[in-house]
Amino acid sequence: MTIKQYKQVRAAIAVFIGMLVSIATVRDSYLLAIAAVVTGMLFLILVRTKVRVVIDEREKLMREKAAQLTYAIFAPTIAIGSFMLLLPSKSGMAVFAKGEFVYIESLGMILAYLALFLIALYAICYYFLSRQYGGSGDEE
Amino acid sequence: MRNKLKVLRATHDLTQEQLADKIGVSRQTVIAIESNKYLPSLGLAFKLAKLFETKVEEIFTYDEKEER
Repeated sequence: MTIKQYKQVRAAIAVFIGMLVSIATVRDSYLLAIAAVVTGMLFLILVRTKVRVVIDEREKLMREKAAQLTYAIFAPTIAIGSFMLLLPSKSGMAVFAKGEFVYIESLGMILAYLALFLIALYAICYYFLSRQYGGSGDEE
Repeated sequence: MRNKLKVLRATHDLTQEQLADKIGVSRQTVIAIESNKYLPSLGLAFKLAKLFETKVEEIFTYDEKEER
């Protein structure tokens, strides 16, 4: 199976799953939706094994750049988002003093920890990759 | 950086698909190299040189003006 055929089959499966999930939503049948998604996933895995996808250096470079860009956008977005959510609750606004909108503060906390986790994960990955590619500076 | 990959491929009577198979990359990568949109790694450049029985500098030429 060629890549082109694989993409066509994948698109057909996606359309099929979409149709079945739509029908399931209309009929209010969770079982049908789950069955459609699981069947679609299994079928996709089956089709994926039949095709030889070449992951070469250009593909890896694109993935690196995409990951870099995703990190550069996502990390500041959630960090600023958490700051914006936490700021009103900590500024002593009357509406927050009553204990209302507690979920906003909780959401802010979750986003703040998520941002920290993301940065920590990046730093750890960077450290180990730097060692792997000879960036430790120990050798003369 | 400029390259003669398209010319060499034509002289060796290879299609982009065949060349891609021989050097273990996708056809899109061959297209990208030929159109100077992607600069291959040193390993891939040597692979190409070995395939066409030539030197790397015969395929790729450094263009100082273009790099600026």
